[in-house]
Amino acid sequence: MISALFSLALTTGAPRVVRGGRIEHVCGNPSLGPEKDREYGRHIVQTALDALQTEVAEPTLFDPSEEPAREAVAAR
Amino acid sequence: MSENTLRVVHVLNQFFGGVGGEEQANLPVQTRDGAVGPGRALQQLLGDQARIEATIIGGDNLFTEQWEVAAPAVKEALRKAAPDVLVAGPAFNAGRYGLACGAVCALAQEEGIPAVTAMYHENPGVLEYVKQVYIVPTGESLSDMHDALERMSRLAVKLGRGEALGPAADEGYLPRGIRRPGLREHPAAVRAVDMVVARLAGKPFVTELPIKMPERVDPAPPLPDVKHATLALVTTGALVPKGNPDRMVRGGSKDYLRYSIEGLQSLSSEDWESVHRGFYTLIVNENPNYVLPLNIVRDLEEQRAFKGLHPMFLTTSGVGTSVADAKRIGEGMAEELKGAGVDGCLLVAT
Repeated sequence: MISALFSLALTTGAPRVVRGGRIEHVCGNPSLGPEKDREYGRHIVQTALDALQTEVAEPTLFDPSEEPAREAVAAR
Repeated sequence: MSENTLRVVHVLNQFFGGVGGEEQANLPVQTRDGAVGPGRALQQLLGDQARIEATIIGGDNLFTEQWEVAAPAVKEALRKAAPDVLVAGPAFNAGRYGLACGAVCALAQEEGIPAVTAMYHENPGVLEYVKQVYIVPTGESLSDMHDALERMSRLAVKLGRGEALGPAADEGYLPRGIRRPGLREHPAAVRAVDMVVARLAGKPFVTELPIKMPERVDPAPPLPDVKHATLALVTTGALVPKGNPDRMVRGGSKDYLRYSIEGLQSLSSEDWESVHRGFYTLIVNENPNYVLPLNIVRDLEEQRAFKGLHPMFLTTSGVGTSVADAKRIGEGMAEELKGAGVDGCLLVAT
């Protein structure tokens, strides 16, 4: 799941959460200009593909900005 | 106004603050003197007991996405207004607004200011903040405004005067999961037997220890190698063919739709649009790939990052949907994709 409101996704128990951009442009950022925007979007989607291959035991955040570091967030 | 009149600060989003709709969702925090919008009705209910000194207004997105920007501004406004109590909302079933109200109440409490908010029990703000903040339950929509304000005003006066609140059920706020020692009329054994007897007789009874198990879904096992996987795209961003031919609802979905992306390399704003009512859709409607990244996924498919893309994408309007409906929609999506041999799915949630 790719979402800008990633902390909410984790609280509600989504197992693999990828940190997206903003609510209005989850998979990119138009202010970066076309090239960098595409690169950023690609990074988000690639992080999601990595997430699909990663074992998780609890809601886990995959943050494209700090790939491949991962933060496990305990489910409440 | 007597000198015992409490000082209140009220918090609203851009919509209830009368500034604008989704296009103002990034509105910076601002303060107005006195009551604004629903605050006027709140002031009437408070009467002489309390006066709304200031209203803090901020955009839904600002509060939820840029809390690091919003929080210092709220703090500053609170210091200036020096309220005895903070009231936020009511947010009804507006998700970001609910989260904003919860966050602002929590912040006020950190600053030593008691706070109360109100929202629908399924609002995500409840999930995040019910343990730390007094939340008055409301209906789903504005039609419950008067009752919600009345209940909040009662609690606000008590909190502002520093009076201790009783149990959640008596005071009318959502249980925070706190139990306090106290003396009951009958010992536990008697109460337990009474409860069993009532239950056996099919009579109503109230448990003293409600156990609310958050539903846990076991994470799916990881894909052994995504290079050999068929993937599908799903969005809750209400993406539909331009003109919305199948009349997807703008919110409160009961169902989802599927559309073909076979042979498409990218989503064009001439052919697709979002009808989502819960966020500012202008940017997505200029570039629908932001809510369903087909252009990027096709690039990766070409580079064999995965085996292939399912020819259909699934879409629903992820706003104001009840948990029960969301569950049913999700089950339907999962079943459909599994039946079509899809191994993994990328879901974009706005």
